[in-house]
Order: sequence, then C-alpha cells, then structure tokens
Amino acid sequence: MRRNAIWAGKLLAVAAILVWSLAPIALILSSSFKPERDIFAFPPRFSFVPTLDHYAALWARWPDFFVALGNSFIVTVLATLIAVAASLCAGYAYSRFRNTWLEASAFGLIVVRLIPPIVCTLPLFPAANALGLQDTHLWLAVLYATFFVSLGTFVMRSFIDQIPRELDEAAAIDGAGRFATLFRIIAPVAAQGMLAVAVFVIVFAWNEFLFAFIFTSTRAKTAPLVLAEIVGNFDGVEWGVLFAAATVQLAPVLIFVWVMQKYLVAGLTAGATKG
Amino acid sequence: MNTNRRTLLTGAAALLAAPGLARAQARRLDILSHRVHQAVLTQGAAGDLTEPWRRSNGAELAWTTADIGPMQDRLLREASLPQTDFGVGYLLNSRATPQVGALLEPLDGLLQSDPIARYDDIAPGLRQAMQVGGRTIAIPVRHATNGLFYNAALLEERGITAPPASFEEFLDQCRRVSGRRGEGPPVVGLVMTAALASYPVIFARAFAGDFITEDFRLLPNRDAMVSGIAAIRGLFEANALPRTYATITNEDQVTWLLQGRAAFAILPFARHAQLNRPDQSRFAGRINAIEVPVSTTAPAGTRMATAVEFWSLSLPRNARDKALGWSFIREMSSPEVTLGSARNGNGPVRVSTYAEPAFAASTPLAAVEAAALSRARIPFPAFPEASRAEAIFVEEVQSAVLGRKTPAQAVADTASRVQPLLPT
Amino acid sequence: MRETLATRLALIAPTQGLVLVVLVLPAIYLLWLSLHTSSFGVGAVWVGFANYARILSDVYFWRALWNTAVIVLVVVHVELLLGLMMALLFAAGLPMQRLMLAIVLAPYAVSEVAAVVMWRYLFDPDVGHVAYVLQALGLPALDWAVSPTQGLVLVALLSVWLHLPFTFMILYAARLAVPLELYEAARIDGASGWQAFRRVTLPLLMPAILIAALFRLIFAFRLFSEVWLLTGGGPARSTEVVAVYLYLEAFRYNAFGNAAATGWLMVIGSLLIAAPYLWRLARERARDAA
Repeated sequence: MRRNAIWAGKLLAVAAILVWSLAPIALILSSSFKPERDIFAFPPRFSFVPTLDHYAALWARWPDFFVALGNSFIVTVLATLIAVAASLCAGYAYSRFRNTWLEASAFGLIVVRLIPPIVCTLPLFPAANALGLQDTHLWLAVLYATFFVSLGTFVMRSFIDQIPRELDEAAAIDGAGRFATLFRIIAPVAAQGMLAVAVFVIVFAWNEFLFAFIFTSTRAKTAPLVLAEIVGNFDGVEWGVLFAAATVQLAPVLIFVWVMQKYLVAGLTAGATKG
Repeated sequence: MNTNRRTLLTGAAALLAAPGLARAQARRLDILSHRVHQAVLTQGAAGDLTEPWRRSNGAELAWTTADIGPMQDRLLREASLPQTDFGVGYLLNSRATPQVGALLEPLDGLLQSDPIARYDDIAPGLRQAMQVGGRTIAIPVRHATNGLFYNAALLEERGITAPPASFEEFLDQCRRVSGRRGEGPPVVGLVMTAALASYPVIFARAFAGDFITEDFRLLPNRDAMVSGIAAIRGLFEANALPRTYATITNEDQVTWLLQGRAAFAILPFARHAQLNRPDQSRFAGRINAIEVPVSTTAPAGTRMATAVEFWSLSLPRNARDKALGWSFIREMSSPEVTLGSARNGNGPVRVSTYAEPAFAASTPLAAVEAAALSRARIPFPAFPEASRAEAIFVEEVQSAVLGRKTPAQAVADTASRVQPLLPT
Repeated sequence: MRETLATRLALIAPTQGLVLVVLVLPAIYLLWLSLHTSSFGVGAVWVGFANYARILSDVYFWRALWNTAVIVLVVVHVELLLGLMMALLFAAGLPMQRLMLAIVLAPYAVSEVAAVVMWRYLFDPDVGHVAYVLQALGLPALDWAVSPTQGLVLVALLSVWLHLPFTFMILYAARLAVPLELYEAARIDGASGWQAFRRVTLPLLMPAILIAALFRLIFAFRLFSEVWLLTGGGPARSTEVVAVYLYLEAFRYNAFGNAAATGWLMVIGSLLIAAPYLWRLARERARDAA
C-alpha cells in the first residue's frame, strides 16, 4: 500500500516536473509551426495545420540571423577553451598547494563576483576600443570566460581534490615538471570536471545578450541580438518568425545539454563515480 | 605536439583579434541605425536606393542596427571615443542636446561647399530643431507623425459607422467598443503604451495643453493636462484600455490592432500599409486613420498638434572619412531618394514629396498625413535631463491611471519634480 | 619536486589575470568615477560623495533595494528547497531517469529573451494559457501588470524557472557524492528516512548548499532581464530592482557618476546579504584545512 503511494507520488512529481520544465519550451516549438493567425488564438488552440512558412521567412528575411549563429558558435567555443584552461590551471594550483595567500586569492575570486558586470562596461568599452578589440570574437570570449573562471576554479579544485596525489608523485618520479603533470596526467582524469565547467560556459555564452550588444556591431554580432531585434521589430513583430528563430537558437544548446547531462552530473560529483 | 598546438592557438587568437585584416579593398561606410532605416533605403516598392551611390563612390555599406534606446546610446558612446569606425549615425530628435551636439560634426560648412539639393524643401520645423548651439548637427531624413488608427469593422459591430469627430466622441466610442465578443479575447477600445510621453502629451494637446513647450515652459495649461490624464484613467477604469496597460510596448500596439484585440491605436501614419497587409492582418483593408481629434472644450479653432518624432543623419566628430559620410547624407536627403524611401514606407521630410503623384498613389493617407504634419510638434524639446523628465512624467501618469493618485496630484507632482531639471 | 613561486603564480595567473582586467580594474575606476559627475560630451567633474548622498536619499533606490532583497531571498530559498527535493527524488530513483534529467536541465539552456517572450504570452491576462486555466477553474484573474506584488511574484517565478537547473545540478552532484555505506550504516542503526536525511544527507550536503546559495545569491542580486523584459520596472517603477535602477542611470539618463555609485552600493548590498553564507563557507574551509 505504502509502496503504491510512493509510486504515485513519484509519478505526480514526474508529471509536475515535465509540465514545469517543458511547457514554455514546447510552446515556443509549437508556435514556430503554427500559422500566424493561430499563434495567439484564444482559447488556446492545440490542434493546427503545421507550416514551415516561418522558417522559410526567417531564412529569406533575416539572413544575418544565421551569420549571427555562426558568430555565437565561434565566441562560445573560444570562451569555453579559455575558461576551461584557466580553471584547470587555477583549480590544480589551489588543490595542490596550500598556503594562506593562495586561500585568500581563492576567496577573492568569489568576492570579486559581487561586482555587477553591467556597470563594468562603462570603462571596458573605451578600453576595448583603444586596444582595437571592439567587435571581435576574442574580446567577447575573454569577457564570457571571466564570468565563469570563479565557479570553474572551484569546481575543478573539488574535482582535483579527489584525484590522489600519488598520481602527481608518480609523474614527478618519472621526471615530469608541474605543467607536464597537469596536462598529460591530471587533465585526462579531470575531464569530466572540465566538461561540467564547459557546459556552464557554453550555455551562458550562447545565450548572453547585454555584453554582446555593447561590444559588437557587425563582425561579431551574436544570435541573441538578432533575436531581440526580431522581438522589437518596428514594423510589428512577426511572431511566427520570432518563434522559429527562438527554436533555431534554442535547439543546439538544448541538444548539447541533453547529450552532456550524464557527464555534467558526473563532473560535478567530484569524481565520486570513479572508483 | 604541445608547441604545435600552442602555435595554432596563438595564431588563431591573433587572427581573430586583428579586426582590420579581413577588410575588403573597397571604401566602406559603417552606419549606425535602426532596422527600419535600413529597410526604407534598401527594400520595398522603390528597391535599393543606395545602389547608385555605392556604385559611383566605389563604396560598400555596413549597417549596424538595434533598438532605438540602445542604438542611440551606442552612437553617443562611439562618438565619445578618440576615433570611431562608424561613418554616419541616425539621431532621434529628443537626443539633440548641446552636449550631444558637441560630439557631432557641424554641417554648416559642408552645406555651403557641398550643398544638399533643395535644402529648403525639408520641413523648416525639423531643420530648425537640428540647429543646436547655433550649428547644424544633423539632417532630418524621416518623420513619424501620429494619427488615430481605427478598425472600421470592429466599430461597425457596435453600430458606429464613422470615426470620431471630437475627442469626447473618441472616448465614448472607445467605451462602446470594449467588451467580450463571445469566443476569443476581449476587445478594448484603445491600445496604448504607457512607456512613452508622446501619448499623454497628445491627450493634453487635445485640450489645448502641453507638457513642455519648445521654449521650455512646463505644463503651460495644467487643467488641460489634468483633463488629459483623467481621460486616460477613465478609459482604464472602464476597461477600454488593456488591463496590462503598464506593460504594453510600442510594438504591442501594432500587434493588438492586427489581431483585432483593440479598435483604436495612436500610431505613426506610415503604419497604414503594414496594418492592412492580408498575410498579417485579420482586418486587411478595414483599418484606417484620421488626425487625432480635439476636445469640444478646447478653445475654438484649436487644431491638434499631434506628436511627431523624427530621425536625422549625423556625422560623428571623430569619424574617419567624413567626406564619404557627407556624400552619403547628401544623396540620401536628395528629393529623388526621399521620394523613393517614402514609397518604401518612410515618412518623408520634404514638403514637395507629398505633392508627388507617385507618393500619393502608394499612400492613401498622404493627404491626411501632410495636414497633420503641418501642425505637428515634437512631444518635448531636447535638453540634457530630458530623459529623466520624460521618465518622471510617464511614471506620474501611470500612477494616476492606475488609481494610485488623482490626476491633479500627478500633475502637481510632475511640476515639482520636473521643474528643477529644466535648463535655466 | 621543488615548488617555485613562479610555477604557482603561472598556474593561477590566467584566472586571476582575467578577473583583474575585466572586473577589478574597472571596479577601481568606477570607484573613482562614482565621486564625479560624468556624461556624454561632458568631462568628469568632482562631486565627492554627492552621488552617494543623492542615491541614498532617493526613495526609488530604497524601494528597488527592498524589491531586490525580497526577490533574492525568496528565489534563493525556493530554489534550494525545490532543488534539494528534486535531488533527493532523483537519488531515490525515478522512471526514465536519464530522460527526466535532461528535461530538468532544459530551461537552463533557454535564453532570457526567448523565455520572457514565452512567459509574457503564457501569463497574458487575456489570451494566456495560465489565464485560461484560472478562468476555467473560477479563480481570480491575473493582474501582474497592475499589482506590484503579483509583478514581483511573476518575476521570481521566471527567475526560478530559468535557474533551478543550476541549483539542482550542484545539489544533485553533491548528493551523489555521499557514499552509500553511510546510508547503509544508518539503516542498520534503525534510522528512519527523516533521520537519515538530517544526520547523513544534510550535513554532507551543507558545503554544496552553501556554494549553491552563495552563487545563486550573487547572481540573483543582479537580476535584470526578467524584470526589464516583463514589467520594465513598472507600473510606475513599483517593481524596479537595483539592476534596473543602475541600467536607467547608466544607459537612459547617461549619468555615469550615479551609475558607478549605484554599482558600488550594489557591491556593498550583496556583500551584506552574502556575508552569513561567506562566513559559514570560510569556517568550513578552515575546518577542512585543519
């Protein structure tokens, strides 16, 4: 009897989670295939004749959306590489070396996150221009990476904490220097932690709007910017096209998270799954 | 293995960090604008109007477009740098303060040496507004003049056969049209955004009042403003305005009309074509526009001075190739391109355009628009704290409409809060 | 292996370097700027603490601060609670676990722009699905564009929706890291489910809970898009939060001195709110190191 109750409770929880997580996303997806008139029909229409018109219109009328997707991709990849590399190095150092100054600087990494990034754009904009970095993929990637090195360092530290020091010592005996140890021995073992950090950065970089807006104009314009333009379209919002664009922008990261979820959790579990 | 990877990464980083590497050999003009500016110059009935200029100058155009607020902010930001990549930028009239003027290249010299064809043809009021600190800082190229759009079909359903002739009739029709109609969302009389000062200003002007006059007098006729705000509040309380009034955006207004959720909206006349497009509108062919009517209580002979906003092309003072930029501005302000962009859906700033048969043919509202434009005024003049003043005014209006204070109190508070912000 | 200072510095240099250039140096500049007035086309003019005085005597700032604090505390604790419950649920085993996990993480992948568009539609009082359901159930209509409380609730709801996966991940991972033997031992000792939770799960999860709470607090304090895109801070600025206040100063009124001052007040504000968690965290790390 009690087992049935628990089972029913779990089913209810599953249903609640499904509705909670998926309803808005399902709505975006389905609206992208609905004829324009039906999108805001009231009472809400669940059955409709699907159409690819919005996707066709998106392709025809907003070509810069797809260019922007490419830019998003470049920036995301770069940001991830920088963030993961920096977090790996720092996480390793904080894990292996203990000393008060080091601990303080680690703590500082958290404290520094209290500074609201939005206001940092005031001096960063002229600075980026002076350095010739305005509207470059690299600058955006550097900014995005910075926002995650704090969290990334802590994730990598707790992950590497779980890796026995014997590994380091064995490598040292074999004559490897610190950096070689890090990249050849530790990194492969810490891969899952690195993946976890990567997922955080990827999701953020792919969806970020404010900094992309301030620091790009034509060459490095990312997808969320175009999405916002479609929303704020002067000539009246084309809702079908908007939902199609939102779906296209959403899909890669959604699929990525889906595929990576196993590694993500394992990465955060600080290596507990490894024997 | 390590060294190779490192070299590759460094090389890639260097490549991505060097912006000038990939630039083409042709001259290039970077334009900072709203998407609509690019649209009216490159798409529509008259096609790509920039093509002749591009060919004869061997130049290519790179458009950076964004929402109004962010885009203006970006322009000012770029103009404040030692040097900017942008060649020209669009400036909204409300931003033309002396401080901003200092960031833009004065154009009087260029107007002398390399004049714009029939410069006097551009509406004098607009040209004058772009004279800041004794210098011409930008050339007007687009206006958006507000009219009263109505859905004839929705009005007829409630037995209204003609659009309102007076402001009181307009308010009354809004009320009569509102309500549920069987299935489907409720219909409201008027859909209006609460975020812009233009709308309460129009309401006040219907009673012969105003917010800030062009010579910086604040609330010259307080009773008129109180009446205007009270009218908005009355509509809200009668459910003739959306319940979500405080969060309706500028773009929502168009959407609501298209979907038949509202019978009236105050929008720029140029929207007419889009509101009647069969693939977007449920009421194609039934949406029309008139000038916003005035109140019967206004002094006799009062005509509506509807709110008009306009855009102008400017040269940042720190732009690299000003000659190229000016050449572009000259061309885009020419009578031919003005007519062409008007056919593409732009609000033309030249008086003569309205007389052109080609324009009148494609724009049924041409006559109405011309009449409204001749009497139109900007919602409020440009001055350094204008944004703050507008925000205060908008906030007070919202408080009054939502019933948190009386319209009289809102006007009094607006007066006391905005007065210190006005230029002395 | 001798540890050279150079090696240690080189290892933490990328991270600290990024943070220095992008956050610390600008913050120092902003401290300077907050003591001046500055705008486009106008040079910086020294005003001492006038900006701070003006902001701290501004009723709207305090209201924004209040709104922010309320949202932050509600959001963080709701997420911790829900995240913990979900973590325990998943740890206990669910049907189609892999699929469910992916579904739980899905909202995190959605951009704010897209999410807000959908949310505004779902909760539209006239045509939204939620309104439809409420109407069908005979419940009172949504009024979040009029009532500030409802507006803030909606903002909090959206924020939770977007960020619950993040909190959940951290808690779930920590939960998985708890060795099964401990639960076995507890069961053998005759502990009930609740006691096992209190004696085994909670203490071991505490560091993760603190980290999750801390990061979530810091992010939530800066909450911007949800408010800006849903209510715009309205009606009549009643749902404004500190980040919106700052945005208006910086990007609409172009009052850079004020914006810088607001930024630093935000640092102090979030430090005060985060202090208890930071303190606890420091104690835990000290205890670990000992």
